[in-house]
Amino acid sequence: MIESAFVAGLVRVLFVCIIITAVYIISARNLLSIVSVYAVQSLTLVVIALLLYLLEGAPVLIAIAAITFASKVLIIPYFIATIQEKIRIKRDIQFHFLSPTSSLFVSMGLMLLVYIVLERVMAATGDRDNLFFFGAVLGISLMLMGMMVTFSRKRALTKILGFLSMENGVLLFGLFVTELPFIIEFLIVIDLIILVLLTTILTVGLDSTLEDYHKRLHRFHLWEDEVEVR
Amino acid sequence: MSLDFIIYLIINTAFILLIAPLFAGLIRKVKAWTQGRQGPPVLQQYYNLAKLFRKEIIYSPHASWIMRATPLVNMAAIMVAALFVPLVFVPEPVGGIGNIILFLYLLALARFFMALAGLDAGSSFGGMGSSREMSIAAIIEPTTIIVFAALAIVFKSFNIFVMFASSAATGALTTPTIILIGISLFIILIVETSRIPVDNPETHLELTMIHEGMILEQTGRNLALMELSAAVKLTLLMALMINLIIPAGLAVTLTAAGIFIAAILFILKGSLLAVIIGLFESSMAKKRFFQLPSLFAMAFFFSTLIIIIEVFA
Repeated sequence: MIESAFVAGLVRVLFVCIIITAVYIISARNLLSIVSVYAVQSLTLVVIALLLYLLEGAPVLIAIAAITFASKVLIIPYFIATIQEKIRIKRDIQFHFLSPTSSLFVSMGLMLLVYIVLERVMAATGDRDNLFFFGAVLGISLMLMGMMVTFSRKRALTKILGFLSMENGVLLFGLFVTELPFIIEFLIVIDLIILVLLTTILTVGLDSTLEDYHKRLHRFHLWEDEVEVR
Repeated sequence: MSLDFIIYLIINTAFILLIAPLFAGLIRKVKAWTQGRQGPPVLQQYYNLAKLFRKEIIYSPHASWIMRATPLVNMAAIMVAALFVPLVFVPEPVGGIGNIILFLYLLALARFFMALAGLDAGSSFGGMGSSREMSIAAIIEPTTIIVFAALAIVFKSFNIFVMFASSAATGALTTPTIILIGISLFIILIVETSRIPVDNPETHLELTMIHEGMILEQTGRNLALMELSAAVKLTLLMALMINLIIPAGLAVTLTAAGIFIAAILFILKGSLLAVIIGLFESSMAKKRFFQLPSLFAMAFFFSTLIIIIEVFA
């Protein structure tokens, strides 16, 4: 049996990995690497779930790790990479409301806020185990950082990646605090896969911004495999 | 001041002067390999310095005393800063030596004189280099201060000697804060030593040069001093990172065998870091000037996070 202090230490290091990937997703401009970093982030979650299994021994954690691995490490990044190959865009350099730098500053503030708020909430329940508390803070922060990606990027593809990373935050929070019922976790994953599948169908618009998506739909009607979209 | 400390001063200065050009040469070699070239020999920097030290110095007719003083001031400031960062042996700190804020401002002093010298010769490239260097310095300085503040909070000391001693005692490699500090220090290292994506140390031909632009008018022995001080600065920042993150082998007592082993290990770890820097540089393009703040913001973010974690948790 592995020592639980060692496992907790490993989980803390993985927390740092998650923060780093989240920061990368906020600030990177190269789409391809954002996708692979998203896959790495999901993989980190899988490892965290497995480590938590070692700590707690709840079999549902293995199931969560398995579906996360299958969906978020393999299937979704594969689909997005496929879309990307099709639409041949490599960079996302358009932002509105917030530049990556200012999103970083804002997310710093948000993290602090989440920390302070959660500290009070958790103090009331009396359940303030250090590791689990940090997991919860990180989960919510990751959610908010994903949200920031979603609204500060202009490209639809990056918006989706932001949304996916937000969902990773939910998963993290669920792992550490509330034990989401497995069926809900499963449904969320199905939702995500359907979302990504839909986006593969809507490829036409993905290299545009949402604003001129409508124009694009008309302009691209010659594109054979997307005719039915119109 | 004890005898140990005097021996430390001698060993540290000699060692850093000896190995500084090695790491710079190694980075250059790694970059050449990744580009499919054979590249200059690893020891090329030593040959360059030896050649430059024998050459005569030519001053521009517009140059004032600043041009003459800068190489010496620069080298002196960097060498004093070198006393602050123990490479192989950590003695008891004496007086203000080892203070991390003083360390930072010694580097700033060197940079200030270098920028003045860039303007002094009256060449337009030098002026452009100086202006860019100062703009970058103004942006990176708050970040550097925050990173060093995070260091001071984590190790509960302002003294680099104490930090090294405690990291050598615990040998902590994998705590989350150390990883975050490592990333921040790496970014500071890249920015302070003018490497890609901030500046390209290879070229003299582009209008984007920063560090090379400022030393364009330096010749002969002065140029050698400028290059040597740049190499020493690189080694210093590398040592700061290495001895905080992988302190294994760092000597805390003065024995010949301990120092020998520490020196060998330091060269190995430094070479590894140099290879990493070389690969990092090869894997990116130079960033546009106005995109640089996003790089600094990352270091700022990580070190603020460390402070938050350390203060609240």
